[in-house]
Amino acid sequence: MADIILSEAEKIFIVHGIQDNFREDGRSCDDYRQMELETGLISNTSGSARLRLANTEILVGIKVELEEPKPEKPDTGRLEFFVDCSANATPEFEGRGGEDLATEIMNFLSHSYSSETVLDLKSLCLVPSKLCWVFYVDVLLLECGGNLFDAASIAVKAALFNTKIPNVSISQESEDTELNVSDDPYDVKRIDVSRTPCIITLSKIGHCHVVDASQKEEACCLARLMMAVTAEGNVTAMVKEGSGSLDPSSVSDMMQSGKKIGQELNYKLLEKLKEEEQKGLKRQTVGFLR
Amino acid sequence: MKSVLRGVRVWVVVAARNKRYGPREVARREDVQMQGQVTCEFKFAPFSCHVRRQPVQDSQEKDLSTQLLEAIRPAICLDKFPKLQVDVYVTVLENDGSALAAAITCASIAVASAGIDMYDLVIGSSAKILGERIFVDPTNSEENTCMDDDPARVGGQLTIGLLPSLNQVSELTFQGDIGFNVLSQAVQICQDTCHKLYPVVQQTLEKIVKDKHKNI
Repeated sequence: MADIILSEAEKIFIVHGIQDNFREDGRSCDDYRQMELETGLISNTSGSARLRLANTEILVGIKVELEEPKPEKPDTGRLEFFVDCSANATPEFEGRGGEDLATEIMNFLSHSYSSETVLDLKSLCLVPSKLCWVFYVDVLLLECGGNLFDAASIAVKAALFNTKIPNVSISQESEDTELNVSDDPYDVKRIDVSRTPCIITLSKIGHCHVVDASQKEEACCLARLMMAVTAEGNVTAMVKEGSGSLDPSSVSDMMQSGKKIGQELNYKLLEKLKEEEQKGLKRQTVGFLR
Repeated sequence: MKSVLRGVRVWVVVAARNKRYGPREVARREDVQMQGQVTCEFKFAPFSCHVRRQPVQDSQEKDLSTQLLEAIRPAICLDKFPKLQVDVYVTVLENDGSALAAAITCASIAVASAGIDMYDLVIGSSAKILGERIFVDPTNSEENTCMDDDPARVGGQLTIGLLPSLNQVSELTFQGDIGFNVLSQAVQICQDTCHKLYPVVQQTLEKIVKDKHKNI
């Protein structure tokens, strides 16, 4: 993680504040910072989203392409994640510096989408063992302000919601299959994102745990639990991260609040995405991609 | 020091550098820290799985290396060897399921028998969840099973690492899609398994130490 260095006194200040349910920016332990989310910004993609969570800035672009399915799963499409930690975010990421963090985010994202129940990948297959849609999900990290995993997962979900797949009709003539892509750019289908998870990171600081830790809080945290939670409260991936260890009772406490917050976040996110969608072309872009 | 854990059909070989090699000096000067450092390398032998693995480390093995590192690092007294590092190499010779859990247990025995100070042993345990049913220590075929008769196809796999006498969870990883209650139940069951395994692992370690001193 892109760590900042804090003195002991600063750490104690943060830890004591959290004990009293009062964090350095005035939030309580279960509060997220303000988010700014926009979708459909990049013209060359099939779906895109930009998320700003306080100082964390993430841009996700999804491109759909027609390819051959994997031989072990001939009748499903697939998702390919790629995360790039650019040196714009912090000088530490220069060269190969951001690679470890990028792989970590990438692995956890693909773990949380690995279950077949999350997305209907079967509907993305056009001709079994010949043609399917592949979603290339590229996550670009532009600025680090803590809580990168949660931010990345929210942006990915928003971009998937925004993704439009062209309708294709297939005509089978003897051996060859012929594809006809619709001429109408509005003749598209969407993928159902109601079961996709959001990642919730719970950082253990002192005797309490917080969600959406800022960079300073991350520096005080020895162990965190990350869970991918769906809207109905199912868990699709979970991992403990960090150099410390956790008490079994605090693990179950953290899982409880992770589930509660995850459900709420999923619900609110989908609501806001639908609201933005309804505004259509009238909506104003507020970010840097104007 | 080497330790080999042999389950019914799981072979894991772990080598932690002992006196003959170190804890060795950190290779690059800029990496020197006042706390000891631990590195882990997890590798499946090319012939260890059902399909052949590439000899170079793939992304799954890299992921497992980080998981293993996170599992055993909290148990090692890092302040006892400043400026030095301990390397843990895990090679799975035959994989019949629960490889990560076996590797965690095995690595902690190897580190302990290499004479490196530890707060506690780390015991790994894993469970496969299918619907409402929980299977402890799944075999390879159980790991790859999903319930075709269940429309929701709920299930997943959980691995935890526990420091039994301190009662601390050092590692927890889950993949799949299950309800919250079943997951909490599975976490509890895995912890209980670790506590059950602990005396056996302690005895083994005791035997290793006794054997070592017999030869001197």
